[in-house]
Amino acid sequence: MSPVRTAVTSHATAVRRAVIAVAAVALAVFPLVSNDLYYQAMLILTFLLAIGATGWNIMGGYAGYISLGNSVFIGLGAYTTGILAARQNISPFLGCLAGGLVCAIAAGLLSLVTRRTRGMYFTIVTFAALQLLAIVATIWSGLTGGSQGLALPLPAWSLSYQDWPFYYSLFGLLVLSVAVSAGVRRSKLGLGLFAIKDDEGKATGLGLAVSVYKLIAFMLGGTFLGVAGGIYAYYVTFLNVSAVFDIVTSMLIVLAALLGGRGTLWGPVLGAFIIEPLANLTSTSLGGADAGAIRLLLFGGLLGGVVLFLPRGVLPTWHAWRRKNHDHPERTVVPPAADVSPGAPAAEGAGGTSRGSRSQDGAVLTVRGLTKAFGGVRAVDGVDLEVAPASVTGLMGPNGSGKTTLFNLVDGTVRASGGRITLAGRRVERSGSTARSHGGLARTYQLPRLFPSLTVLENVVLAERRLSLSRLFLPRVTAAERPRALAVLTGLGLSGYADASPAMLSYGQRKLIELAQVLWLDPALVLLDEPAAGISPALSQRVAGIIRRLRADGTGVLLVEHDVAFLASLCDRVYVMADGRIIACGTVPEVSADPAVVDAYLGDQVALAAASRVESAP
Amino acid sequence: MTELIQALIFGVLTGSVYALMATGLTLTFGVMKIVNLAQGAFLILAAYLCYTLWAHLGIDPLVGSLFVTVPLGALGVLVYRLIIERVQRVDHGLTIVVTFAIALVAEAIITLVWGPNPVAATPAYFNQAFHLGSVSVPAAQLYACLLAVAITVLLQAGLRRTWLGHAITAAAENPDGARLVGVEPKKIGTWIFAIATATTAFGGAALSFLYQFTPDSQDIWIGLTLSVVIVGGLGSVTGAFAAGVLLGLAESVTSTYVSVRWAEAVPTIMILLVLLIRPQGLFTLAARQDAAA
Repeated sequence: MSPVRTAVTSHATAVRRAVIAVAAVALAVFPLVSNDLYYQAMLILTFLLAIGATGWNIMGGYAGYISLGNSVFIGLGAYTTGILAARQNISPFLGCLAGGLVCAIAAGLLSLVTRRTRGMYFTIVTFAALQLLAIVATIWSGLTGGSQGLALPLPAWSLSYQDWPFYYSLFGLLVLSVAVSAGVRRSKLGLGLFAIKDDEGKATGLGLAVSVYKLIAFMLGGTFLGVAGGIYAYYVTFLNVSAVFDIVTSMLIVLAALLGGRGTLWGPVLGAFIIEPLANLTSTSLGGADAGAIRLLLFGGLLGGVVLFLPRGVLPTWHAWRRKNHDHPERTVVPPAADVSPGAPAAEGAGGTSRGSRSQDGAVLTVRGLTKAFGGVRAVDGVDLEVAPASVTGLMGPNGSGKTTLFNLVDGTVRASGGRITLAGRRVERSGSTARSHGGLARTYQLPRLFPSLTVLENVVLAERRLSLSRLFLPRVTAAERPRALAVLTGLGLSGYADASPAMLSYGQRKLIELAQVLWLDPALVLLDEPAAGISPALSQRVAGIIRRLRADGTGVLLVEHDVAFLASLCDRVYVMADGRIIACGTVPEVSADPAVVDAYLGDQVALAAASRVESAP
Repeated sequence: MTELIQALIFGVLTGSVYALMATGLTLTFGVMKIVNLAQGAFLILAAYLCYTLWAHLGIDPLVGSLFVTVPLGALGVLVYRLIIERVQRVDHGLTIVVTFAIALVAEAIITLVWGPNPVAATPAYFNQAFHLGSVSVPAAQLYACLLAVAITVLLQAGLRRTWLGHAITAAAENPDGARLVGVEPKKIGTWIFAIATATTAFGGAALSFLYQFTPDSQDIWIGLTLSVVIVGGLGSVTGAFAAGVLLGLAESVTSTYVSVRWAEAVPTIMILLVLLIRPQGLFTLAARQDAAA
């Protein structure tokens, strides 16, 4: 980082801290110095929206899962509190905690529904859940008062305290929710959430239990909003279904978070402080029959406008603008890469049950009769294959012969239509990617998949061998992990890039980082999809060195590669695939001479060229 | 027994109309992976236009829908080219948010134009019925069902027989491959949105004489059409038809044997159940999802 930029950044940080501190103090003393109930009411609603947007942001901003139904939590929190207060005489300030609990459970159930889907299905589920609960609350009128509404007891405190209890409890809750959101950002939980936003499939392959991460993120946001909804219920003292389960509230939450800056810490709060006063202004200045429609037009239009013209939100856009104007074009100097030494010490893995499986004699991977049909096409058709520990097994075949599908079947990205997969002695054909990763499997992709939101070092330490809830609350990179991860990077000659974004790296370097992720997992079985394709001969030699080291450490390596010389120099054995079947197996010279292989590769020039390269290979 | 047969007939008739209402969403969701939450508002808009043609010019909604296809198709093209296509380029995940915003704006405009009170078109046949023994078949439901079947068959034939249909199917199955052979996604997207919102006119026409509707009933209809698409499985016109009928039956049986009010909850319950148990939908083969990676 250049000195100029550092100065600008620290200056900006100081300014930001000062602004936040002044704003917090001003909000804390405001009710004491002003007895204007109008502004007090407006701030109470602003806090509610800010809590909602901050909670939404943990799932919607960090993990990238957009909920359009978060007012469901306001409704559940409000009704839980209201029902307890009206029927059981429980103080709303206690009842709202029960509201938070109910919301945590509801968020957990909704996470269960979305467990098997990704992307927009989450949005649809939240949308549907909001509709469903509104209908159920109307039908279940014995409990909720239905369309008649539910009245809460009036606050009993002296009028001279005005709305202070509401004001300070919501203000405190907002401070708490921002603190929790900040804590999530700095923890391994946050690291995983940002990884999920970047590439969920890859994160799963690295052993992240993504559904647990998403579950916690969604529950956190829901709980805060549920407690806030309970306080809100006491504040308005009268609940009716259509007002409490209002989709417009959901929309305002999304609008506030998007406007301020999705994925930032303070963006949702800033957004709420812009949106709620505006909403307040329109509700006091607009009158008449069309007021509701005009408000809808205004806020719907605003939401559309933000998505179209300010999709990153105010804060990120502002930061980007500042950087452009203050940062000098001189590139940050990256120290020269250290020389690779293939004998560099192997890093210890990410903990967990590493290598336990290696002591046994049998194959680390056994595949029997594995089949995958897509409609009528059998992409993989009755494949038998074995990978021994401490060996390198090659897999070759023309494009479209089923190699990558086989990889996807073995790592669990795709479920097999039939057959068995045994990984380190355990049947896994029915387990998910995460379980297989925990069972000792790691893979790289033909085109490297890294997480651009994380630094190179974070990309490496992200991979995990088992799920441990307490681990999620550790810092992103612990003091113990950092030197170990640096050692892995140094071994690959990439230590100078530890704190850079992977987006700055070359294609070949990104491939090496993927290998670093694999090394970090300390796997029993590694699947490498064309690790040497498209990279320079020097890097390719470095990759070969890493593969040899993996073998020396006892790992079984399954390698897809088109470069026959590369395969010949490394592999103990190769399998050749064509049309989804294994057509040959043996050493590289053996299979190169096999007429079936020559035929599969269409023509004898290929075979001749391959043979000559094998001869000239070291 | 009669009660059950009656419920089944009613379910099939209603369900086919649900499928008709969902065809627009089936196309955009299935082919372009765009969940157009404005579909419910477009449907209501079409219903208001058909209603207006009927109320002021005496044009039967079934005929009026033909005129309504033109402004709705144009609206679809505008919305796609000016808004959705731009958002899609920046962040595909935000398309659902922007269509939600469009839905709210459309609801607001419809309220400003037509007012918030419920209306319905009442052509001569709206309360007539054909009787088969003790079972009655409401005429309006029957006509709407026939319209739904006709549109579904036409769409299916269009997808199977025309170059555009092949291009749409190709773009759905493999966008990159389609681009390689000269199928430009933006052009296909424009056509899909044009067809999707134009056919919404027919769904709106059926809605206009089968139900009372208000501008804010759009969120009921978007919930219902989403349910059809998710239960049916993405992008399958015939799957959507089957799902519509299934939903219609479930609603009809629920309102006959449980209560009318719980029938209202059937579509959203179906969404949650199907996503929990069989996320790829009830009427589709598992599609290959790793090829794009």
